[in-house]
Amino acid sequence: MVAAEWSRPAAASGWLRSRPKLRAALQRNVTGWLFILPALIGFAVFYLYPTLRAVEISLTDWNLMRAPKFVGFDNYLKLVDDPRFWQSARITVAYVLYNIPLQTVLGLVLAVLMDRLSKSVALRAVVIAPYLLSNVIAALIWLWLLDPLLGMTNAFLGLLGIPRQSFLATPDLAIMSIAGINIWRHVGLTALLFYAGLQAIPRSLYEAARLEGAGEWTVFRRITLPLLRPVLVFVLVTSVIGSFQIFDTIAVTTQGGPANSTSAIIWYVYESAFRFSKMGYASAMSVVLFAVLILVTILQMRALRAGSSDLE
Amino acid sequence: MRACLSRILPLTAAALSLASAGGARAETQLNYWLWDALQAPHYQKCADAFHAKHPDITVKVTQYGWTDYWTTLSTGFVSGEAPDVFADHLRSYPEFVSNNQIMDLTPLVQRDKVDTGIYKPGLVDLWTRDGKLYGMPKDWDTVALVYNKDMLDKAGVTVDELKNATWNPKDGGSFEKILARLSLDANGKRGDEPGFDPKRVVQYGLIAPKIGPDAYGQTQWSWLAASAGFKFIDEPWGTKYHYDDPVLAETLTWLRDLWLKKGYALPQKDVGGLGGTALLGAGKGAIVPDGSWNSTWYAQNVSFPYGFVPLPKGPQGRKSMFNGLGDSIWTGTKHPDEAWEWVKFLGSMECQGIIGKAGVVFPAIPEAAKMAQDAFAARGQDVTAFTSEATPDQTFLYPITDYSPQVVSTMNVAFDKIFLEDVPVAPLLKDANDQVNALFQ
Amino acid sequence: MTAIALPHASLQRLSPGRIVAWVVLGAFIVCSLFPLWITLKTALVPSATLFDQATLLVPVDVTLDNMRRVLGLAPVNPATPSTPINFALALRNSLIFTLLTVGGQIFFSALAAYAFARIRFIGSTVIFYLFIAATMIPAIVLFIPNFVLIRELGWLNTFQGMVAPTLLMSPFAVFFLRQFFLSTPKELEEAARIDGATPFRTFWSVVLPVHKSAIATLAILLSINAWNDFFWPFLVGRDADVRVMSVALAAFKTQQQSGNPDWTGLTAGTVLSIVPVIALLVLFGRRVVESLQFSGLK
Repeated sequence: MVAAEWSRPAAASGWLRSRPKLRAALQRNVTGWLFILPALIGFAVFYLYPTLRAVEISLTDWNLMRAPKFVGFDNYLKLVDDPRFWQSARITVAYVLYNIPLQTVLGLVLAVLMDRLSKSVALRAVVIAPYLLSNVIAALIWLWLLDPLLGMTNAFLGLLGIPRQSFLATPDLAIMSIAGINIWRHVGLTALLFYAGLQAIPRSLYEAARLEGAGEWTVFRRITLPLLRPVLVFVLVTSVIGSFQIFDTIAVTTQGGPANSTSAIIWYVYESAFRFSKMGYASAMSVVLFAVLILVTILQMRALRAGSSDLE
Repeated sequence: MRACLSRILPLTAAALSLASAGGARAETQLNYWLWDALQAPHYQKCADAFHAKHPDITVKVTQYGWTDYWTTLSTGFVSGEAPDVFADHLRSYPEFVSNNQIMDLTPLVQRDKVDTGIYKPGLVDLWTRDGKLYGMPKDWDTVALVYNKDMLDKAGVTVDELKNATWNPKDGGSFEKILARLSLDANGKRGDEPGFDPKRVVQYGLIAPKIGPDAYGQTQWSWLAASAGFKFIDEPWGTKYHYDDPVLAETLTWLRDLWLKKGYALPQKDVGGLGGTALLGAGKGAIVPDGSWNSTWYAQNVSFPYGFVPLPKGPQGRKSMFNGLGDSIWTGTKHPDEAWEWVKFLGSMECQGIIGKAGVVFPAIPEAAKMAQDAFAARGQDVTAFTSEATPDQTFLYPITDYSPQVVSTMNVAFDKIFLEDVPVAPLLKDANDQVNALFQ
Repeated sequence: MTAIALPHASLQRLSPGRIVAWVVLGAFIVCSLFPLWITLKTALVPSATLFDQATLLVPVDVTLDNMRRVLGLAPVNPATPSTPINFALALRNSLIFTLLTVGGQIFFSALAAYAFARIRFIGSTVIFYLFIAATMIPAIVLFIPNFVLIRELGWLNTFQGMVAPTLLMSPFAVFFLRQFFLSTPKELEEAARIDGATPFRTFWSVVLPVHKSAIATLAILLSINAWNDFFWPFLVGRDADVRVMSVALAAFKTQQQSGNPDWTGLTAGTVLSIVPVIALLVLFGRRVVESLQFSGLK
C-alpha cells in the first residue's frame, strides 16, 4: 500500500513542525480514521453491537414488554429438548440438500452450454432474468404456477397423465417445491459465475487435449472441473450459507406449513421472536445457527481444498 | 452507548423525519384498524360522520388482510406502533387482556352512562371478563350453507330437501345422500349411481373451506362436530379443551372420508390456493359452508343462481358457531379520550345504522341488524338462513380462552396432518389436546 | 466420438451432440421465461374469466383493468371486495429506499475503501478484516437486536429505520472498491498532492472518476439487492406510507376477506414490480450480466 504524504498549509503546532515525520504520520492516521469513520460507525452500531447484543439477549427471557430476565444458558438447554427445533434443523438440512446439489449441477451444465454454443449477451441476460426478481416475486409467481386447480404445472402434468399435485399443501412435497422455486431463481446466477470461471481457463489447454485425442467428457473431468475449483468453492460456500437462511419464500408461500413441514430454522426463529414474543429463545437459536454456519463453511473449504488452484 | 446513540442519531436524521412528518396538526388523528375489506369503505363513512360531529378528531381507517392483521397488531403492541382503536376478535382478546394491551371500558361506560342493553343479548357478556368490559359489541355472524341452484336443479335436489337435511357422524344422514347426488365424475355418473369413480370427480358435492392457521374450524367442521355434541371447552374462559372427545374424531373422520374415499368433497389440499368461497364461484362444487360475513362476495362475483340455507340438523340439532366482534382500545394510546369517543360512536346506532344499510354484516344493535337484512333483501339476497340460526339453542360460542396463539399453533399442525394425510385421527387429537391443556397448568 | 466444440472451430457443425445441447439450452431458456409469461398473461385476464382462462397458454380475453385497479387508477366500486393496495405508493417507497441505501452505501464505503487502499494508518488491517468478517454473520443474528434498537430510537415505520442498518457500510462494497482503488495509477495522486489537494479532494475529484465503471457496476449490484430486499423492510416498514414493493406484494396476497388471493390483481402488481428490473436488463444488459459475473471472481 502506498502511503500518501500530503503537505498541508502550516497549521501545525511548533513542536510538531520540528518533527515532520511525526506530523505526517499524525495526519495520515487522522485522515485515515476520518475516512473510515462513517463505515466504522455503521459497522460498530449495526454489526458489532447487535452481534454482542444478540448473545446478551440469548441469555435472557424477554418478551419486549417487561424488562428482560437473566436466565443464563437456559434457552440453549431448552433448545436441546425442543422437538420443533430439531424438526426445523432437519427440515433446513433437507432443504439445503434438495437445493444446492441440483442447483450447482444445473448451473454448471448451463454454463458449459453457454460457453460452447453461444456467447451472446442476450442469452446471458435471459438466463439471469429470474435472479433479478426478488425472492418474494419468484415465490408469488410459482405460488400461482403450482396452484392445485388453476396452475399451469398441474396442467402440464395432466397432459403427461400424472395426477394433480398440491405442491405447497402436501407435507412432503412442500419443502421440495420451495427448493424448486429457489433453484429456478438462482440457477442463472450460478451459471453466470461458472461461465466467468470458464472464461479464465486458457484455450491452449483445450487445444492440447484435443490434439492428444481426449473426448468431451475427459476434457471436462480433467481440465475444466479442476480449474474451476476456486469458482466452485465460492459458489458452493456462498450458496450453502444463503440456502441455510431461507426465509422470504416460506414467508410468502407456506408460512411454515402445512403441519410445520416447511418450518425451516429461520422461520422458527421469526415465529419465536415475533409471534410468540420469545426474544431470548429466538436469539439463542440465531447464535446457534451462526456457529453452525461457521462450522459448515470451514468443513466445506477443507473438503474442497479451497486454498489452491490447479492452474499452477 | 445506547443513551448516546438515542441522542445523536435522531438529531442527524432530523431532516428525513421532517420530510415524512409534514406540518404540525392542531387536531388529533386516531388510527383505526380492521381486517374486513368488504366493510372498510363503510367504516370510512362512519369516520366521516364522526369527523362531522367532532371536527378536531380525524379517524384514519386502515385495513390489513386477516393473517397479516394479527401479526401486524402484535408487532405493533410490542413496538409501540399499535392503533388507538381496532376491530377485535373473541379468539384474540383474552391474550390482550392478560398482557394488559386493551383497556377496560367499564369505568368509561359507567361515567358516560352508555346503555349496553341495546345490543343483541349475549354479546356484551362475550366481551366481559370478571365484570370488566374489554370490547364494545360491533357485529355478529353465523355459519350457513351456500348452494349452487343450477347444480341442485340438475341433480333433482330441492332446496327444501337441503333445508331439512339431517346428519350424523355414523352414516352421514340425508345430508351425505344429498352430497352424493350432487357429485359428478368425469363420465357423468353421480355419487349415488353405480360406477361412480371417486378418483375422477369434476364436480364435488361439498367444499370445506380453510382460511389460515386455525384451531376452531368455524366454517370447516365445527358445525358438524357441535351438532353431534362436541364442545370445545366447558364454559367461556375454560381451562380445559376437549379435542380428544371421540365425537370429534368421528366427525373429522367422516368429513375426511368424503374426499379420501367417497369423492363427495373437494380434497382439503386443493382448497388452499383459492379458498372455498371462490371455488364455489368457479363451479367446482355445489355446497360451501360459509360465514355471513362473506355473503356480499357472492352477490358480486357469482354468475349462477345461488342461495343460503341453514346448516343440516345433527343429533343435537342445528349448531352454528356464533361469533361477536368488538372494538377495543389499546392501552398505549396517546389519545384515550378521543379513542373512547370513537368507540362510543362505533357502538351507537349512528354508525351501526350506516353499516347495517350497507348490507355487509349484522351489526350488534338489533335495529341495525334488521336494516342489514333488508339491505340484503333489496339486493336479492335472502339471508334468513343466517339470521334464523342466531338463537341460543342453535348456536354455540366461539371458544374464549387464554393462550390462543399457542392453541392455534398446536392444533393447526394436528388438523393439517389429519386433513392432508391419511393418518389415524384420534391419537393425533389426543396428543395435541394434551399439549394444549398443558398450557393451562 | 463427438467432436469437441472449440470456440474457433466451425460452429456450423450440427452433430447429434450439438443438437441435443441446443435443445437442452432451449429448455433452460423456456424454463426461465415461461413463468414470467404466465404471470403477465394472468395479469391481463379479466377477473371474471380467471378460472376459465387459467390453463390457456394465450389469453383470449384481455384487459388492462387489473393494472389500473392495482395502481389505484380505476374508479373504486364501493362494493368491490378488495381494498386496493396502493402499488404506486409502494413503487415510490421502493425507489426512495433503494436510492437512499445505495447512495449511502457507495459513498461511505468508497471513503473507507480509499482509506484502506491508499492511506497507511494504525489499525487499518485489523479493521478491514473485521469488516470482511461482518459478511459471515447471518442476517437473522442482527435482525432481532437491530429491530430492538430501531424501536428504541422510535424509527419503526420510517424510512430512516429501514435504511439505517445498511446505509453507512456495506462490507461487500468496501471490499469491492478497495480492490479497484489499489490499482489506481499512483502518478495521478502524486500530481494531486503536488498541487496541494487535500486527501478528500484527491479522493473525490481524482480517484473516483477513474473508477467510474467499477462504481457503476457496484451500483447495479447494490441496487438489485436493495430493490429486492424483503425481510428487514417487512419487520420495520409495515405502514402503507413506507412499505416497499416486496412487502406490499406479500401483504396483498392476504388481502381478500374470503381467504384466497386476488390472483389477477396480485399478478398485475407483480408485473409492475418486474418492469423496472426488465427495463434495467434491456437497457444495461451487458453491464448487468458482467457485473454479476465479476462478483464471483475475487
